[in-house]
Amino acid sequence: MPDTPQVKSSFSWQIKKPIAGPIILALAAVFCAVFPLFGSTGTLRLMNEIMALMIMAQAWNLLAGFTGFVSIGQQAFIGIGAYGLFVTSIETGLNPFAAVFLGGLAAAVVGILSAPALFRLRGPYFAIGTWVLAELFRIVILNTQKFGSGSGLTLARVIKTIPREYRTSGTYWVALFLTVFTIFLVYFLLRSRFGLAVRTVRDNEASAESVGVNILRIKFIVFIISAFLTGCAGAISYLNTMFINPYATFSVEWSALLIFVVIIGGIGTIEGPFIGVLFYFFLRETLSDFGTWYIIALGLVAIAMMLFVPNGLWGMVSKRFNINLFPTGATVVMKKG
Amino acid sequence: MKKSESTHGTAAFLSGLAWALLITLICSISMGNAFAADTIKIGYISPITGSHAEFSESDPYMISKVKALLKDGLVIKGKKYTVEILQKDSQSSLDRAANLTAQLILKDEVDLLLVQDSLSSITAADQAEINEVPLVSTMMPWQAWMFPRKGDPAVGFDWTFHFFWGLEDVMKCYTDMWTSVETNKIVGGLYANNPSGQAFANREFGLPAAIASIKYKEVDGGLFIEGAQDYSPFIAKFKTGDTDIITGLSYVQDWATFWSQAAQQGLKPKVVTMAACLLFPSGLEVLGNRGDGLTTEIWWHPNVPYKSSLTGESAAQLAAAYEKETGRQWTQPLGYAHAIWEIGIEALKRAGDPHDRDAVREALAKMKMDTIVGGINWADTPIKNVSKTTLVGGQWRLGGKYKYELLIVNNNAAPQVPVQAELKLMTDLK
Repeated sequence: MPDTPQVKSSFSWQIKKPIAGPIILALAAVFCAVFPLFGSTGTLRLMNEIMALMIMAQAWNLLAGFTGFVSIGQQAFIGIGAYGLFVTSIETGLNPFAAVFLGGLAAAVVGILSAPALFRLRGPYFAIGTWVLAELFRIVILNTQKFGSGSGLTLARVIKTIPREYRTSGTYWVALFLTVFTIFLVYFLLRSRFGLAVRTVRDNEASAESVGVNILRIKFIVFIISAFLTGCAGAISYLNTMFINPYATFSVEWSALLIFVVIIGGIGTIEGPFIGVLFYFFLRETLSDFGTWYIIALGLVAIAMMLFVPNGLWGMVSKRFNINLFPTGATVVMKKG
Repeated sequence: MKKSESTHGTAAFLSGLAWALLITLICSISMGNAFAADTIKIGYISPITGSHAEFSESDPYMISKVKALLKDGLVIKGKKYTVEILQKDSQSSLDRAANLTAQLILKDEVDLLLVQDSLSSITAADQAEINEVPLVSTMMPWQAWMFPRKGDPAVGFDWTFHFFWGLEDVMKCYTDMWTSVETNKIVGGLYANNPSGQAFANREFGLPAAIASIKYKEVDGGLFIEGAQDYSPFIAKFKTGDTDIITGLSYVQDWATFWSQAAQQGLKPKVVTMAACLLFPSGLEVLGNRGDGLTTEIWWHPNVPYKSSLTGESAAQLAAAYEKETGRQWTQPLGYAHAIWEIGIEALKRAGDPHDRDAVREALAKMKMDTIVGGINWADTPIKNVSKTTLVGGQWRLGGKYKYELLIVNNNAAPQVPVQAELKLMTDLK
C-alpha cells in the first residue's frame, strides 16, 4: 500500500461576501421610502398587496426552500393574522396598524401550539397536516359568532375613524417595514451558523443529526418565524380589503399562489420569491381583464416553467451568469494546520 | 467553489433590470390617470371566473350591448360625454373584489361603480363607502348585503345602493307555493354554511321563522360545510321526520350530491324548494332527469311584464335576443345585469354633472324608475339604500326548447306577473 500523507486538518465554512445585494436592497428601500411622495393612492395600495405577498412568499420559501418542509397550510397563519387584527381592532379599538403585529403574534402562538403535532409528520404528510390545521381554524371561525362566523367581519367602521390620508399610507409603512425586516431577517439568519444547520436539515436529516444539529429545535424556530411573518402579512393583506370571511381567508388558494410565485421565481433563494411576486403581479395587472383566459395563462405559465425552467426565473439567471445577490450558500474551507 | 468576481457587474445589471420592471409596472399603472375629463368612467365588477361564474354568464353579451348603445357617448344636460366601461372580474373572491374596487376608485378614478356579484357586493360596497364613490349593486338578498357590513336598515349607508329582494320575500314565495298544495305540513331544512346559507337558516328571520309563521312543522337538518360528501345524517333526519317538503340553500355541486344520495336512500318529498342551486338550467342538467318538478324562486323571467328603459325591449324580447345571439338558454341574472345599467345611466343623467359624485349619489338616493326587473325606488323605502324587487314561484319541468324549462307557478306576491302552469307534486310526476 502506498503511503498516504497524514494531513492534520480542521474544517471551517464561509459564505461569499455580498456586494450587489445589500446595495440594491438599500436603493430599493430608499426608493420605497420616498415613493409615497409621488405615487398615487391606488399605486400605494397595489404596493401593499405586492409587499404582503412578498413577505408571505419569503416566509414560505424559508420553510420549503431552505428548511425543506413544504406547507400547503400557510392560509392558517394568514387567516389567524387577519382575524387577530380584526378582532383586536374591532373589540378594543386598538389602532389597526399596530394590530398587524398582534396578528403576527397570534399566528406565532398558533404555530407554537401546533408544531408538536405537525412535526410528527413528514414530507407530504406534513403538507397535508398544515392544510388540515387551516381547515380546522376555518371551521372554528365558521362556528363562532364572535368572529362573524360564515358572514365575516368588516373593518370599515374602524378605518373610517382614521384620517383619509393615513388609511393607505399607514398600511404602506407597516408593510414596507415588515418587508425590509423579513428580507434582512431571512438573509442574516441563513448566513449564520443557524442557517447552515437549517440547510443541513433540508439536505439530509440523518447526517444533520449525526453532526450534532438539533433538528427539532431548528425546525421549530423556522416554523415559528415563518408563522409570525405570514400572520403579519395576512393582517396587512386584509387591512387592504377591510373585510374578512373564513371562506376567502382560509382558502387553500393562498398556498397555491405562494407555491406559484416561489417556484416561478426560484425556490431556495432570497431573490426568487421577489422575482416571482413581481412576475405574478405583472401578469395579473396586464392580463386579468381577460377573465378565463387569464386563469388559463397562469396555468400554462406554471406548467411551462416547471418543465423548462425548474429552478425558476432567478435560478436560471443565477446559473447562467453565476451570480448571487444574497449569497447564502456556504463553502467548506479546509485549513491545513 | 470558484466564482468569478467579475459577475458583480452583471448582477448589478440584472437587478437593475428587475427594478426597471417594477418601475415600469408602477408607471404603467399610474398612467391610467391621464385620461381626459369629459370621459365618464364606469367600473363594472362581476364574477366572470370562479364559483359564481354562472351568475355572469350573460355579462359579456350585456356589456357588448351597453357598449354599442353608448358608442356615440352620452348627452347629459346638452354636454356630450364619452363613456368608458372598465369591466373587472372578481374571480368570485371577496378579497379580489375589495382590491379591484379600491383600484377602480383610486387608480382609475371611476365616476360610478356597478357591482353584479353576490358576495363581492359586501367588500366592494365597504370600499366605496370609505372612499366616497357612488355604487349600485345587486344579486344578493339585502340582509346579506347590509348586516355583515354592520348596517342598520333605519340609517342605511351614504354611498352604496342595493336592489334585490330580501329573505322575507323569498320565504313568502316559498310558503306561498307550499300552502297552494296538499302536504303533511312537515318541512326539512338544510343550509350551506356561508353568509347566504346562514341568513336562510336564521331562526329569527330565516326559513325556520317562515315555516313557523304558516304553522308548519320544521325538521332542522342544520348547516353543512360546502363540499361535504356524505348527507346521510340529513337524509335520515328527514326520513324519520317524515318531511313532505325539503327546503334550504345549497350550491349546485352540493345539491347534486345530496339529491342523488336522497334518491339512493329512498327520500321522496312532495315539494322541494331550494335557493341558489336551482337558479340555472345547468344546475338542473347535472341532475339528469331527476330535476323534474324541483321548485325555486323566480326574480326574473321572460314572462315578467316589464320593459327596458334603455332599449324599450320587453323581457321576452331581451331573452329572445340573448338566446338568438349566444345560442344559450336565458338565465335569471340577464334581467338584473341589464337593469343595473339602466339605473347607472339614469343616475348619471339625473345628476346633471356625472363627475360630481355628490350629485350622482343624490340622484341615486332620490331614484324612482321602471326597469326590466320592475320598479326601482330608493326615494321612499323602509329599508334605507335598498330597493326591493319582486319574486314569483317557479317550477322546473322537463321539455320545451331546452332540456328543462322554468315555469311560473305562483304569483301571490306579484299578481301583475302571469302564472304559466299549476304547481305539481313531485310524487305525481313521472
